[in-house]
Amino acid sequence: MEDFLTLLLAGISVGAIYGLIAIGLNLTFWTTKTMNFGQGSVMMLCAMLTATLIARGWSQALAILAALGVVVVLMVFTETYTVRPALKIEGSMGWAVSTLGVGIVLQGLAALWFGSQALAFPDVIFSAIDDVVVFGVHVSLQYIAVLVLALALVVAFELLVRGTVWGRAMRAVSMDADLASVIGIPVRMIVLGSYIASGVLAGISGILVAQIGGTVDPAFGFELVIFGFVAAVLGGMGSTTGALAGGIVAGVLQQMVGGYISSAAQHGMAFGLLILILVVRPQGLFGQREIVKV
Amino acid sequence: MVFSRRDFLATSGAIAVAASVGMPRRARAAETIKVGFTTALTGPFNEFGEGYKRGIELAIEKINGAGGVMGRPIEIAMMLDDQLIPDRSVQNMRRILDNKDIVGLFCPSGSGPTLAVIDMITADGRPAMNPQAQTPTVIYPGGPGTKPRPNVYTFSIQNDIEANFMAGILAKKFTRIGLLNESTGYGKTGGELVQAGIMRINKDAVVTHESYNQKDQDMTAQLVRMQRARSEALMVVGLGADMAVIRKNMVRMNMTIPLYVSAGGFSPPYAEGAGELALGTKGSQFRKIATKPPAPEVAAFLNAYKAKHGTDRLWGSDPEIPSPSMGGTVASGYDGMLVMADAWRRAGTTEAAATIKAMDATKGFVGVNCSYEFTPDKHHAIEVDDLTTYEYAKVDGRMMLVQTSL
Repeated sequence: MEDFLTLLLAGISVGAIYGLIAIGLNLTFWTTKTMNFGQGSVMMLCAMLTATLIARGWSQALAILAALGVVVVLMVFTETYTVRPALKIEGSMGWAVSTLGVGIVLQGLAALWFGSQALAFPDVIFSAIDDVVVFGVHVSLQYIAVLVLALALVVAFELLVRGTVWGRAMRAVSMDADLASVIGIPVRMIVLGSYIASGVLAGISGILVAQIGGTVDPAFGFELVIFGFVAAVLGGMGSTTGALAGGIVAGVLQQMVGGYISSAAQHGMAFGLLILILVVRPQGLFGQREIVKV
Repeated sequence: MVFSRRDFLATSGAIAVAASVGMPRRARAAETIKVGFTTALTGPFNEFGEGYKRGIELAIEKINGAGGVMGRPIEIAMMLDDQLIPDRSVQNMRRILDNKDIVGLFCPSGSGPTLAVIDMITADGRPAMNPQAQTPTVIYPGGPGTKPRPNVYTFSIQNDIEANFMAGILAKKFTRIGLLNESTGYGKTGGELVQAGIMRINKDAVVTHESYNQKDQDMTAQLVRMQRARSEALMVVGLGADMAVIRKNMVRMNMTIPLYVSAGGFSPPYAEGAGELALGTKGSQFRKIATKPPAPEVAAFLNAYKAKHGTDRLWGSDPEIPSPSMGGTVASGYDGMLVMADAWRRAGTTEAAATIKAMDATKGFVGVNCSYEFTPDKHHAIEVDDLTTYEYAKVDGRMMLVQTSL
């Protein structure tokens, strides 16, 4: 029972991070039917900047805010110069190549600026030794903090989308950008905002993961984005709740497979799950079947 | 005095002839002995590649400062970056092997990249020094005790040597042992050899053997399996950055059993990432480089390193004595270059067959990590006696590796 709880809680926590990444991917998919394939590099850049600034004596809060500020500028650049031009061509997949390209360039720049070795990342929210005992199991406060933060972000996002004018405008853009533009919704701003929010979520995810692992390097983030993508598809592309649920399901399954079947199989499990979902329920757990009238 | 055209031509011709007589000697003197290598100069494990590059450079400076080999200076003609990625190592080594001016090779950092290129190097036939890869099949394709590859020599701690050392310690102290290794050639063979060594010493031992992928951010599943098996100690065969993740994961799970690591696990990113959580971690490392007072050849190496690079992250936190991990990151490259240069000197040529014959006759060459001796049947030098046990402890407020009895 103790093993089960340990695996379950670790899975929920790791899954919550996948969920955050998935929500970021969902945001841009919602507004433009595109995804930032350089999301892993955004995670890496934010974490490396934070680690570097803290090492130079900045306060943690200021370092995180500054790193997130850089991410905002980066996402404005990405949307303006790599995604928008590609979207002008009907049916073009140029955005996939260009966002991936930005990610690769970021990796190179990070290696140039920060060095290519792994940087030590300090404890930001609690340390590895902070824990509480739940049903006789030591539960890391770092894991709980990750879960609480992920849930808070999902709730905040849902409130934003359902309860504010900007949220309604965002939904309108996701349904029909041309019609939204005709009725005066600032589509350009909404799309830009979705990229910025997506980048900020990736940045926060990067910081959360880096503090758990303890190090960050320019190659950081790539694999996590793959699991985030699995979470997004599993939950249903476009669904915030689905993204979090998908992330947690993927995280928990990964831990259970690793803990009870084989640790060597835990990564492959995620892709097996992806294939299964695409076959059985292509719209994902919380997604809606897309109906196109012709 | 007026020069006629005939006088001018005659004088010019005489000068040209005189110059041409002297020229070949000067050209030969200036012609460098070229070496080449591919290694992890960047990437998350670049402490190994950067380290051995520095070791080779320091050795070359020492050799060239003393007049070179046969009057010729040594030069790094090709130095390529593979980030410890085997595919890139193959591409890089192909380029290096295509350069026929290169007479001395160094294998990449890490067993994965080295295993990917070692057959190419063997087929090529030029002498190759292996500073860091630990998998025995790099040197002995049929396994330890079999015939070595004719042109490859290792300066690293072979997995079988380290496994025997660690198995001897673990099997005597514990009956239920958790064994975790990275899924690379280094980790896999290291883990298997430690397990075999433990079982050889204690047939009743219960070994729970798990693996992980380099750069995994969570090891809960593997550690839970260790807990379920009631392991009394955990031995990890892996590298520093991953060690930090494992140590933090153990602490989060309130897993208090002793942690033992392979030599690679003591590389700088471990202490940097885990901080004081690394205290108490034990493992094997080179003995000689961190022994006080240092032997003259070690002191010369350390002084040269300090003068060029200072007491940086590869050196460690004690300004007087380096971290023993420098034996694997820097000194193995340094020793490799010095031993190869010594072979060229004894052979009187850089021609491959003669160099290999001289390498096979290396005896009592005193290096930083050990005294080197190679024969046609023995192409490794580091033995169990060249290792000792270390533990992360706090000394004068600084965290450092100190020699300990396990």
